[in-house]
Amino acid sequence: MHKTASQDPRARAKRGCRAAGPSQETAKTGTPWIRRLALAASLVPLLVPAGSCLNFEGYEQTPELTTEVDDWRDEVIYQILVDRFANGDKGNDYRVQLGAPARYHGGDWQGIEDKLPYLQELGVTTLWISPVIKNVETDADVDGYHGYWAQDFTELNPHFGDLVALRRLVDAAHERDMLVIIDIVANHVGQLFYYDINLNGHADEQLQGNGIDSPVTYINEYDPDFDARGIQSFTSLGEAGPAPIIFGNDPATNHMPPNPAVFRNPAVYNRKGRTLDFEVEDQLLHGDFPGGLKDVDTTRCDVKEAFVDVYARIIEQTNADGFRIDTIKHVEHEFWRYFSQRVRQRLALQGKTNFFMFGEAFDGRDDLVGSFTQQLPPGEAELDCAGGGPALTSDQLDSAFYFPQYFQAVRDVLQQAQSTDRIQALWEQRPTTWGTEPASGGVGIAPADIPVNFLDNHDVPRFLYNVRELDIAVQRKLLHNALVFLYTAPGVPCLYYGTEQEFRGGNDPANREDLWDSGFDQTGATFQWIARLAKVRKAYASLRRGELAVTWSSARTGDEEDAGIFAFERNGGTNKNGYSLVVINSNQVHASHTAFEGAAMTVLAPAGATLEDVLSGDTWTVADDGTLDVTVEAMSAVILVPAGDVVSLN
Amino acid sequence: MATRGRAPIILASSLVLLAAPAAFAAPPETPPPPAEPEPEPEPEPEPSADDDDAPTVSAEDLLRMQRRLDALESEVEHLRGELDDARDAQAEPEPEPESAPKPAPKPKPKPGPLSVGSVRDGQRAPDYADGFHFGSYGRVVAAGDARGRPGRDADIVGRGSRFDESTYAELELRREDHWEQTGAYTRVVATVAVRHPIFHYNGDFEAAIALRNLYIEELDLGLKGLSFWAGSRMYRGDDIYVLDWWPLDNLNTIGGGAGYQFKGGSFIKVHAGVNQPTTSFYRQLVARPLPLNQPGETDVAILDRQQILTSYKIGHVFDIGESGGGVKLVGYGETHHVRAGQRELSGESREFEEVPADNGYVAGGELSLFTGKRSTHLNLWVRHAWDLAAYGEFARPFQLAPDATTKGARELVVALGGNYEVSFFGVMMGAYFRRFRNASPDLDVHDLNEGIVLVRPQFWFGKVAGAAIEGSYQAQQRAVFPGLEDDTSGPLFSSLWRVGVMPFWAPAGRGSYARPHIRAWYMVTIRDEGARSLYALDDVFSVRPVDHLIGFGAEWWFGSTSYFRD
Repeated sequence: MHKTASQDPRARAKRGCRAAGPSQETAKTGTPWIRRLALAASLVPLLVPAGSCLNFEGYEQTPELTTEVDDWRDEVIYQILVDRFANGDKGNDYRVQLGAPARYHGGDWQGIEDKLPYLQELGVTTLWISPVIKNVETDADVDGYHGYWAQDFTELNPHFGDLVALRRLVDAAHERDMLVIIDIVANHVGQLFYYDINLNGHADEQLQGNGIDSPVTYINEYDPDFDARGIQSFTSLGEAGPAPIIFGNDPATNHMPPNPAVFRNPAVYNRKGRTLDFEVEDQLLHGDFPGGLKDVDTTRCDVKEAFVDVYARIIEQTNADGFRIDTIKHVEHEFWRYFSQRVRQRLALQGKTNFFMFGEAFDGRDDLVGSFTQQLPPGEAELDCAGGGPALTSDQLDSAFYFPQYFQAVRDVLQQAQSTDRIQALWEQRPTTWGTEPASGGVGIAPADIPVNFLDNHDVPRFLYNVRELDIAVQRKLLHNALVFLYTAPGVPCLYYGTEQEFRGGNDPANREDLWDSGFDQTGATFQWIARLAKVRKAYASLRRGELAVTWSSARTGDEEDAGIFAFERNGGTNKNGYSLVVINSNQVHASHTAFEGAAMTVLAPAGATLEDVLSGDTWTVADDGTLDVTVEAMSAVILVPAGDVVSLN
Repeated sequence: MATRGRAPIILASSLVLLAAPAAFAAPPETPPPPAEPEPEPEPEPEPSADDDDAPTVSAEDLLRMQRRLDALESEVEHLRGELDDARDAQAEPEPEPESAPKPAPKPKPKPGPLSVGSVRDGQRAPDYADGFHFGSYGRVVAAGDARGRPGRDADIVGRGSRFDESTYAELELRREDHWEQTGAYTRVVATVAVRHPIFHYNGDFEAAIALRNLYIEELDLGLKGLSFWAGSRMYRGDDIYVLDWWPLDNLNTIGGGAGYQFKGGSFIKVHAGVNQPTTSFYRQLVARPLPLNQPGETDVAILDRQQILTSYKIGHVFDIGESGGGVKLVGYGETHHVRAGQRELSGESREFEEVPADNGYVAGGELSLFTGKRSTHLNLWVRHAWDLAAYGEFARPFQLAPDATTKGARELVVALGGNYEVSFFGVMMGAYFRRFRNASPDLDVHDLNEGIVLVRPQFWFGKVAGAAIEGSYQAQQRAVFPGLEDDTSGPLFSSLWRVGVMPFWAPAGRGSYARPHIRAWYMVTIRDEGARSLYALDDVFSVRPVDHLIGFGAEWWFGSTSYFRD
């Protein structure tokens, strides 16, 4: 790790150090007296530079890699859209247009470092930050502020800072026992080229067809519709073969040929045009992502090697702790096998183990999402890419962003009060849909036990937006209730920035508000609630590492006595604090309890055990028959632990 | 009304003027010291107690006396050179036959080579002579890189060799008067400057022209030794010719100033002025509908603030010995100030952000040693600028502090300049170290340390030609790193070596500061990988480790107030 001289980021910058100054020059003058004075004067420039060198306090050195985490389930991830979190350095404010949600707003890595105390107060332990590499600046009047429009994999995004700023952020986080996850994309690059369909060497938007003999077709050469044959060129005489692609040459918007050189080879792109139907596998895997984001042929060995190289390099240069990987469902499983294994191997050789890689598949199908974490053996063809390295195995990613839960639990249950049994059903699938064996050299936890849970993110409307029709007090209760679910469900909670400030933006980019507008207030009810939940989670290991057992769910959503109840136990984790029971009532109308028609919930806690709600202090006692009837108010929850295990959160 | 009857005073003042060794300054574009005779210090005459009793002199007499004075000064300078040569010869270890005394040289029609560098300062009246005067600095350059491209500045530091400077000229017209009724002197100066490219280069019947001086200056109005001025002015101190640079003070404002020259050699000067660089830091124009329901639009200045500058200089010249040598000490300070304002947010109609007020300061000093012989001198400057002043007078402050001010920006300059001449040999030198940190708390590409050491020995062949050889090493350290692909161990370091030769014809004879010159030159530049990385992809400088420069041209200066010390 780097040495950190001061916790004050301002104090670290721009200090004097060594320097090579200009050489001494003397001039002979007319008298000895003046000559001596001249000699003395000429020595002065040698003395001054000695205190003037550029001092990065060790951050100019490529860092040694270290492993900073024991069990990723202990972490609380906080997703940061870097451009919107905090502006710590106005020196990198290029193209900033605060009033336009789709433009750069000025946030940067320095701003995150400055606000680490705020995040620590919130209970955050891991930062997931936007992609760090250089992007297309702006495209169709939308900026690449989000970071998902890669142009140069060998350079950092100057809007966010420089290598020192990123290294220092990672180091400052580590100093606070926090981790950093970097967002990456391997499915596509930015809109770096167009298809020269009419072969005129110019990016056109054109109409083809006369409407009588042929249909009138609108063609945008940057983003033409999918063609399974590959985008075809077309002249007045008809089709003329595959359309050539032409890279941009506009430095102002950074529509430039990509780096490294392998990405300047047209053959590394699938060149089939814009995906129209994600249900069609060819389109899903080989189509350009809507918006003209060019799909890379991730089955090619050179592409696999290049992605491992450029992304492992970021970790080698920063000592960050994990990858969040974008759009994994648009990339073949074989790529993830190669990529995840080679990254783990490469980093482990340098001292970085327990490196966490979780992918995002924006999809409600649990089998699809989980498939990227399963042990799936490599095919014969892909073994060719193994080269001289270790043999490829069945390992893939460590985890995935739990989109199925977002739809079936957060949206359906916690926002819309649908039946809670769907959560149970979903969770019960996981041991079959997700991997159940830890990846070799991975985080040491079966993927099925470490899904990354979330209530919302930068691709979906914020939680409060989806309940905006309700009374404001009800909205907050729903959010707080969902947060209990987030912080107690198996896996790793991932909080989207701004949730603590009750941001309520709708779809992208409205859900990407500037956090500084909140004044980084730490007194709000939701901030305090989240901070408390984080302390609870930290205090009780069973909530982080315990085995799961769903103890109650209900198909009922009306005025039934258990409508809205969802309860689950977390058992084990460590020798201490080995048991907890979470009971959530998602019903928005009435209190419910963990019984129906006389049958009460059976729990693992022994009969006679007194369980205390760590949120309210209320207690319940397990009945002699091993059942527990807990009544929970509407849109509320309890987190019960053995009374003897209760610890002070202060 | 111009005087017609004050010959003694004019003469005395002229002597005072001539007695004050010239100093040098030039605009950023280049001008070096003008060729002016270096006089012997002489006691400053007191003004006549009764002006009405002063004898009258006709204009013709005045002109004749002025010419005579010029000739005498030229002769003095010539004799000094002869004396120096004789002393040098005597200093040789091998005895030489004593030469017969030479006859006194005849006065030359024009002043001989100048003596410059650093000398005493103060409000002397430089060559006040009634009437219109013309002065100029200029250089015209035809140069290329031996591969078909035109010559181009190859320095990586802020101030480097003059070999690769481009065409630039100043044309000065001034009017000078002595007023009989008040005893004051008046000078009105207008200086037009033109820079490359000029018509015979690109055929465009247009030019980049600036009016770099337009001011009036008064001397001895109400009090002997008091001067003041008002107008638009290049306002400068001593320079380093070989770097084309005024390390301590070089302000360009519209304003005014005053000074006082004490009899004992001390002087004090103050100045205040305004300017408004054309940058968004000072001004923002936005379109607004015309008022009163008129169709169309007009520009409205939402942000419209000027930079208010003041400068303060105090100094003293210590005479040492009888040969004209001495020491000058100068203390210097500046303040810069802009008021607060507001700016419309980009892309937002009538959404404004506050623009805070800003300030800057400079403190510095100069130690100047001079022999009084053939412009031999050594100057040392130390200058520190804070906040707004650290960015320079006309720059747009960038990489601001989190509060959108320049607070925290710093610039430190330590510079040396000098000249030494003896017989047929001379050497000029310039060196500096500069440390700049912008206001942004983090180090970035704009934060740098840089420096150069440049030496230019020169030899005169007889008195009509010579050759200069220039060698320099310059280095820069920027707070930036290579891309992710490379391991890093420190910020970018870049450097280059330059060696050049410049033969010249020197109609004005020997002297580092004697002009005009008609000259040719060759310079080789050797840049390291760091230096190449400072240039954009496909820039030839980004790929050439060795570069050549071949040029031919001319340089002159004469009679321009830009290079008078005042």
